[in-house]
Amino acid sequence: MKANGGPSPGRAALWIFCALLLAFLIAPILVIIITSFNATPYLEFPPRAVSLRWYGSFFSSAHWVEPTLLSAKIAVITMILATVLGTAAAIGIVRGGFRAKRAIELFLVSPVVVPIVVLALGLYFLFSSYHVLDTPLALCLGHTVIATPIVIVIVAAALRLSDRSMELAARSLGANFWRALWFVTIPSVKPAVLSGAAFAFLISFDEVVVAIFLGGPDATTLPKRMWETIRFEIDPTLTAISSLLTLIAVLVLICVELVRRAADVPDKT
Amino acid sequence: MLPALVFYVAIYVYPLSRLGAWSVYDKGFTLKFYTELFVESMYLKALGNTLEISLLVTAVCLILGYPLAYLIATTAPTPRRILMVLVLVPFWTSILVRTFAWIVILGNNGLVNRAFMATGIIDHPVKLLFNMVGVQVGMVHVLLPFMVFPLLSVMSRIDLNVVRIARSLGATPTRAFLHVFLPLSMPGVAAGCVLVFLLAIGFYVTPALLGGPGEITLATLIDMMINTLLNWGLAATLGMLLVAVVAGIFVAFSSLMGLNRMIGAGGDPT
Repeated sequence: MKANGGPSPGRAALWIFCALLLAFLIAPILVIIITSFNATPYLEFPPRAVSLRWYGSFFSSAHWVEPTLLSAKIAVITMILATVLGTAAAIGIVRGGFRAKRAIELFLVSPVVVPIVVLALGLYFLFSSYHVLDTPLALCLGHTVIATPIVIVIVAAALRLSDRSMELAARSLGANFWRALWFVTIPSVKPAVLSGAAFAFLISFDEVVVAIFLGGPDATTLPKRMWETIRFEIDPTLTAISSLLTLIAVLVLICVELVRRAADVPDKT
Repeated sequence: MLPALVFYVAIYVYPLSRLGAWSVYDKGFTLKFYTELFVESMYLKALGNTLEISLLVTAVCLILGYPLAYLIATTAPTPRRILMVLVLVPFWTSILVRTFAWIVILGNNGLVNRAFMATGIIDHPVKLLFNMVGVQVGMVHVLLPFMVFPLLSVMSRIDLNVVRIARSLGATPTRAFLHVFLPLSMPGVAAGCVLVFLLAIGFYVTPALLGGPGEITLATLIDMMINTLLNWGLAATLGMLLVAVVAGIFVAFSSLMGLNRMIGAGGDPT
């Protein structure tokens, strides 16, 4: 699969360049993880003495644990909302037979490029007039707008690849549209739906901007608390939290990969 | 699909249109916020900063991302998978975590400065944070994958046999690349640049945390309007300006290159 024949100096240079670039991408994360095991509050790298004290300071303080639980709650609700809305929208886009499909698809994924600051600002005005600012509800709704396009893109891609003949067979054997949808179409794209849900969870759990604009003393998520802390001081607890958030991201990626593999195997046998 | 449309209209279209209304309202219809925007030098400077930062970030991402995407697209499946993991893990790691990591690394008392001072290359800390350097490093770090994925989705569909034929017909590797592979990859270049530029224009977290007073962008200015200056009308107007720029570019290019490729990261099969 080599474009320019055998190993060449150019190819070697390309590998070295890319290795450095990937080091640039990965290094900050590794530095934070290693720093999080410091025994002193000075963010030494590499740590001279190792301890878990910053993890202890995270788990033992309501200042951190409460926002974390709130973030988890909001992320779960966002995940459910975004997955249901996104899957339904993807089915409509791919299977629906109408003209404006392209335009609607474009519209439905457009929140990806609309600056989140602007969306957050719009929601800030809207929610302040309905007095739902600084509530978990406001954050769930805002996060759902951001997460739904990802679900749509992933599920729509899977639907385009999936074999439609099973669905048509079910219909011709007398299943109505909804039965065919529930028993044939959705199971055929289950891995994509689950991946979309996992990413929706992660997007909400890590989301900062909407949380800053719409949250307040009564609805402070973990990223909002981190944001406030970073702005005023460098608290070493942040390194422990950062490591845990990275761990969650890696776990989500592993889940997505496992779901994909589990789905691949029965197909091939 | 209907529920999604209804939800979008309520929580996405409606708030944005109210923003539009706010931007032209002050006890009756007015365009004073818009005129203020183009008269006041601070706002023009923020607009200039935003465009400058976004263009530079896009250029750097392209220069760095193209070789990486090329390597991933042309290498064997196993190294390809490893390379992909190394791009995906940072991509899905919280932006806040990565930005915080750069504060720890680039700060006056950070890793880079301590390392250089320990080796005696410098005797005073070099200012790497709260200026253009910090913003650029942080933003390139976050946005690089958004360049790599669209490039990759185009490149992985290029038939490498075409390049081989060019080689067998006597083209040097450089010529084969420049005249065969590069032109075929241009849709990916366009898609990646548009996506990164759009995201950079509205980027808030990294400029806010890594930039200084000299790097005020439209996004950080909106935050200032709301939280410090309490000027809602002007905040709405700045928001509309951002949306107009983004929507213009988005609509213009989505028809040119196909939206799925632009989103790219989802592993688009079409």
